Amino acid sequence: MDTQFLVSLTIIIASFALYIGIAIYNKAKETSDFYVAGRGISPFSNGMAIAADWMSAASFIGMAGTIMLLGYDGLAYIMGWTGGYLLLTFLLAPQLRKYGRYTVPEFIGDRYESHSARLIAAICTIIISFVYSIGQLSGSGVVIGRLLEVDAKVGTMIGVVLIAFYAAFGGMKGITWTQVAQYVILIIAYLIPVVFMSLQLTGNPIPWLSYGKIVGQFQELDQQLGISQYTEPFLKGSKWQFLALMFTLMAGTAGLPHVIVRFYTVSTMKAARWSGAWALLFIGLLYLSAPAYAAFSRFILIKNVVGQKISELPAWTGKWINTGKLQIADANGDGILQWQEMVISNDIVVMATPEIANLGMFVIGLVAAGAMAAALSTAGGLMIAISSSFAHDIYYRIFRPNASEQNRLLVARISIATATVIAGLVALNPPGVITQIVAWAFAIAASTFFPALVLGVWWKRSNAAGAMAGMLVGLAVSLGYILAAKYGGFSIAGIVDTGAGVFGAVAALVANIVVSLMTKEPSQSVQEEVYDLRYPEQMTYKDGQVWMR
Amino acid sequence: MKQIDKKVADSYFRERVRLIVLFLIIWFIVSFGVVMFAESFENMTFNGFPFHYFMGAQGAVVTFIVLLFINAKVSDNIDKKYGISEEKNEQLSAGKALDH
Repeated sequence: MDTQFLVSLTIIIASFALYIGIAIYNKAKETSDFYVAGRGISPFSNGMAIAADWMSAASFIGMAGTIMLLGYDGLAYIMGWTGGYLLLTFLLAPQLRKYGRYTVPEFIGDRYESHSARLIAAICTIIISFVYSIGQLSGSGVVIGRLLEVDAKVGTMIGVVLIAFYAAFGGMKGITWTQVAQYVILIIAYLIPVVFMSLQLTGNPIPWLSYGKIVGQFQELDQQLGISQYTEPFLKGSKWQFLALMFTLMAGTAGLPHVIVRFYTVSTMKAARWSGAWALLFIGLLYLSAPAYAAFSRFILIKNVVGQKISELPAWTGKWINTGKLQIADANGDGILQWQEMVISNDIVVMATPEIANLGMFVIGLVAAGAMAAALSTAGGLMIAISSSFAHDIYYRIFRPNASEQNRLLVARISIATATVIAGLVALNPPGVITQIVAWAFAIAASTFFPALVLGVWWKRSNAAGAMAGMLVGLAVSLGYILAAKYGGFSIAGIVDTGAGVFGAVAALVANIVVSLMTKEPSQSVQEEVYDLRYPEQMTYKDGQVWMR
Repeated sequence: MKQIDKKVADSYFRERVRLIVLFLIIWFIVSFGVVMFAESFENMTFNGFPFHYFMGAQGAVVTFIVLLFINAKVSDNIDKKYGISEEKNEQLSAGKALDH
């Protein structure tokens, strides 16, 4: 056990103590001013909470590494995961806020007046959240694996236990101020290494302005090393794959149940618009920094690590090789490390770079704490989404309307435990890197919820049969494409598994429209409710007239 | 509760939709549009990057953020023009919010 282990562990425990402390403090306060009116959360704080909710292990641990290894092609993740907020804020969030339901299956069930649609939506929520949580568990495996210097698989198993506890205790989720604290820790942990590296390499502390210079130097360096050009587009996949992936991530963002739920916490449609704007600003801070992180890491690896004698590599390499995510092999037997001889997983770049750049124990520990916050908070939220879909939407609303509170709580706890263990088993041997696994969850969300929600809000003619057909077709097409592309080598126009959402979304949209038009229109009252979403809260649509309250 | 002219209500909706359509067109151009023609921007540089890389890593994201803030601000102005009061909205939606 070395000093680094103690420093990292201390920072992780201290940060968690802070979250728990805030949660307890707020709970005590909440009961006292429960009946005080107008206790709204400002869009500014809500934006931070959305940002913390949103940024998972994929954003924190996986993204910079993905960009480092994919070059320009990795930027689809940057644009996709930010651009989706425009779809969400323009097309869905304010309207869903006015409609005022608590979960996505609840909206779908009530808007389409159908228990079957509610059931399908609940199942989709479970599938999406489950796939997403595999990525989070895999991420916590990387962090814990490095911390304890064990294989990432062992780390994942420890992560499963932590997350099961975390979610069972309410996840410390759902309390806005805890999430604000998580955001602050997460963003500081991400920015400090980027700023230090920027200062070290360029003398300029502002990474967003300075890393262009580094990227500019790659052209020459890559040529010397004989590796593919960093900024050249579409080397790792076709242009259509880039576009499809970007669309998948954008539409998926607007269809992710646990993100949409956050917009129910704002007070009005206007507050929903401002919350979306602040959220993207806070998210953008990390997303604008990830490509800088990637460029600095790559530069340091090329300059300080590649070309060294393999026998004299620094200590960090050994520790990462132990996790199974870094492989070094002297293929040509010259005793010197070449770029091609190093196989580095996307998932360790963010965690390893502070060590590679010698940023000191405190920074390394801080990054570990930030990564744990990102992975555990999102995983906790996903588990809650799974358990509420199962225990509330399926078990209580459909099968046992007279189940007691205790009984429902038990069902919720059992579903959390089951889902965590199964997701953990899958994550032991992750079917892809974190960003890729998470992209599948987005593909399914883009293919099921995005069309059902957009049509549900904007087209009053869309009915239950259409929505069900859309969700089922979208689910089948997206899952089918992911499996066929991943394991069967199938592809259309070079679009691989991560871009599956574009086919699913189009198929679902067509299915929803065609089936809706072939079947009976929805009831008068539902059509009026949908028409009503055109206006702010103060205006109401009734019997063909608009009333101002 | 008083009735308002359907035409007034419709024009409120139209103004908001026009705004959204305009923003989504810009959204499409800075992301999908630039990617589609990425190769032709390779020799332009901006902020030290080839232009297509700059747009992917910084330009598009900053545009998205700015668009959301403009949308929030302009929508507020439209609300004001039609005499919508935020206080009234808050009152009407109170209890419908899931406050946590």
